[in-house]
Amino acid sequence: MLMPGRRNHPIRRTFFIIWVAALVGVRAASASAPFENPAIPDEGKLPLTAGFTDIDGAGGAGLVPWAIITGYGTEDSYGANAHYTLVSLSDFRLRSYGVAVGALDRVEASVTQDQFSATGTALSGLTVEQRIYGLKVRLTGDAVYDQDSWAPQTAVGVEYKRNSGISDVPGVVDPRQLGAVADSGSDFYLSATKVYLAQSLLLDVTLRYTNANELGLVGFGGDLRRDRSVRFESSVAYLLSRTVAVGAEYRDKPHNLSVDDERGAWDAFVAWTASRHVSVVAAFVSLGSILSPVTHDTSDQNGAYLSLQVGF
Amino acid sequence: MFCAGAPASPATLFDAMGGEPVLRTAVDRFAEIVVADDRINFTFAEADMGKFKELLFEQLCNISGGPCRYTGRDMRTAHAKLGINTAEFNALAEDLYIALGKAGVPYRLQNKLVARLAPMKRDIVKPPGAPGASFPAEPKTESQPPTP
Repeated sequence: MLMPGRRNHPIRRTFFIIWVAALVGVRAASASAPFENPAIPDEGKLPLTAGFTDIDGAGGAGLVPWAIITGYGTEDSYGANAHYTLVSLSDFRLRSYGVAVGALDRVEASVTQDQFSATGTALSGLTVEQRIYGLKVRLTGDAVYDQDSWAPQTAVGVEYKRNSGISDVPGVVDPRQLGAVADSGSDFYLSATKVYLAQSLLLDVTLRYTNANELGLVGFGGDLRRDRSVRFESSVAYLLSRTVAVGAEYRDKPHNLSVDDERGAWDAFVAWTASRHVSVVAAFVSLGSILSPVTHDTSDQNGAYLSLQVGF
Repeated sequence: MFCAGAPASPATLFDAMGGEPVLRTAVDRFAEIVVADDRINFTFAEADMGKFKELLFEQLCNISGGPCRYTGRDMRTAHAKLGINTAEFNALAEDLYIALGKAGVPYRLQNKLVARLAPMKRDIVKPPGAPGASFPAEPKTESQPPTP
């Protein structure tokens, strides 16, 4: 069954590929030119300090965005990357791919496509598509250099999420049929991130103003709560080496729908910067129960999170 | 070096890192790495590396709580004409990490040392819009012969 929202999906996919190929091409063509040319990315950040790609496509770790602007460009330059993320849970699977650009260490823009599918339970076969457009602006501070101050780097962000509908379940085509108020919505967040270098620690606290159900995969708002509420998220990472960090995250999620006993999500991750061009995050993740009154499976949806990021 | 392996924790970061011999080794490795690093070796094009190494040792020793006095110029004066940008500052920091690693300093102690150096970015990196922001400083056009 071809849903209206999915009709030009191959074209979108092609667009992503061309876009990424163009970025890589520019980078390769410019490699031999003098590095003072501002058109050439300076790749000037230290490994690990460029962060990774979170589950919504923003610069962060796994579940939580950081105040860090994605990519290896410093305040004089820019960076960009593409990511592919796979989250394999007991009854569900999320595949996500997208691109992100960071400019002048000030602004980050990202586009991510999610494909969420049920692999078990009564919902087996269900597929949900979601597109996420993200924008983040760094406000104050510097997470890395201001080591004589406790003050973190801060950033605000917005994520506009558009759910393209549910397919492959007879009679259900839209998250609104599960009680969601809308099939699109925006999250607003404030992140504070700091590397406490003397302790080899990175701390992040994010406050998110959201009414997304299961990250937006089950729509926005619901019969229990229609409007956004402020939710707490946090990342803690210990820097093991110049290229490897281990950490844990928590992300509270609102409980808006009576058909979904939604809970907070958490993970424990290992993040590895293989080079300034390739990063990997591997995690054990728990998203809590998902749509348990529908699936009659109240167990937590636990599993593996694997994300590959390539860029500069 | 008296403290290595001793159960009592060293009083200073300088001692924890292994004192003068380890820091001297780190500075030697650092000098070798930076002159081979095309991102930043232009800043050492006219430098007296012997003097540079002595001053860097003094500075690292002093800032890590060792029994040294730094006799060089302050960071702002020393870098005023170099037009160092953030990418170059970070390249230098990366090279220092590598050098400390080669000298046997554990990563968490490398971080402790760099934490004390990081705020110097404010004095070393040109302020936005300053001369040198978009044009390379004079020494950038010169090539640096490899130093043994």
